[in-house]
Amino acid sequence: MRWRGGPLTDPPAAAAPARSQTSSKRLARARALGQRVPYTMSVEERLLLDRLIERDEQAFSEIVRLYGDKVFSLIYRMLGNRQEAEDVAQDVFITVFKTIESFRGEAKFSTWLLRIAANHAKNRIKHLARRPTEGADPDDVSQLRTLPDRPSPPVQARIETPDAMLEAAQTERLMQEAIANLPEDQRLLVVLRDVEEMSYQEIEEITGLPEGTIKSRLHRARMAIKEWLDRHTR
Amino acid sequence: MDHEQAQSNFSDYVDGSLSERVRADVDAHLAACIQCRTELTGFRETVGSLGRLKQMKQMAPPSFLGDIKQQIYKRSHGRFFRPRWKLFGRIPFEWVSLGTIIAMLVYYIAVLHGSPSGVHPAGP
Repeated sequence: MRWRGGPLTDPPAAAAPARSQTSSKRLARARALGQRVPYTMSVEERLLLDRLIERDEQAFSEIVRLYGDKVFSLIYRMLGNRQEAEDVAQDVFITVFKTIESFRGEAKFSTWLLRIAANHAKNRIKHLARRPTEGADPDDVSQLRTLPDRPSPPVQARIETPDAMLEAAQTERLMQEAIANLPEDQRLLVVLRDVEEMSYQEIEEITGLPEGTIKSRLHRARMAIKEWLDRHTR
Repeated sequence: MDHEQAQSNFSDYVDGSLSERVRADVDAHLAACIQCRTELTGFRETVGSLGRLKQMKQMAPPSFLGDIKQQIYKRSHGRFFRPRWKLFGRIPFEWVSLGTIIAMLVYYIAVLHGSPSGVHPAGP
């Protein structure tokens, strides 16, 4: 496979310059007024990212260990297919490794990372929509109705009885299928808000959409899921 | 407020982000409209079911990190994340090489000093 999107550059001579200190009084006042305050990175986070800019392997491993499951989960919920999700999540971390210098620290690193993940997932959805179906993929939720004996994907849930386990697995499949029927921008909002339980401010930062647009699209998405469930279950 | 207006506020109603005035209007409509009450119940169930997906954590596979590093190694033509060969999958080959060199040196010195002939390299 070729290295796309430009060559990997050698580590820069110096890490990004330290950002200027913001007055704590001004920050406290802005917080009290409910205004958005600039994000201040912790020293540990800054050091970790500096090491990543230097292409330190251990720092990269640490980043993947910290955020791997979160990124994978978001992408899986958007795509509904483990194999595709794994592939896209790998691409996300490769992109992070290639473009870490472009992270300016104005938002949380996790926000920047999830923005990349969301864009990759949306692109994959578009790609898959264009691609003709090539046989039944046992993990693809769109194939669930034609594959009754398929093993369910591994889930880690706090479920006690087999009946509850079965019911939870069925609900998960059904919800996953309902999400997969949404347009990609609505899928993202539903996953961020209702599954990942993020605040509207975090969603604004990840998607770059204004709150009003997020709310109206989210409402349409929830209504569409409800209607889908009404048609298929009730 | 009619059905359509009431239902267009369901998302904010469930999230608790409606203004007091609009919330009161929606409540008034719901009190008088069984159709919208049923719709709202279904809507709440849907949002609740979506929220339960969070409890069913989807974890990245155990080989995830290794696969990414392998991809980076391949795509960068070996510039980054060169795989480390390990003896029995535990000891890095660099350590094995270093250990071998030290052992050979020790052996050489031992042989040199323990020579039965007592012949030593000639001094100046």
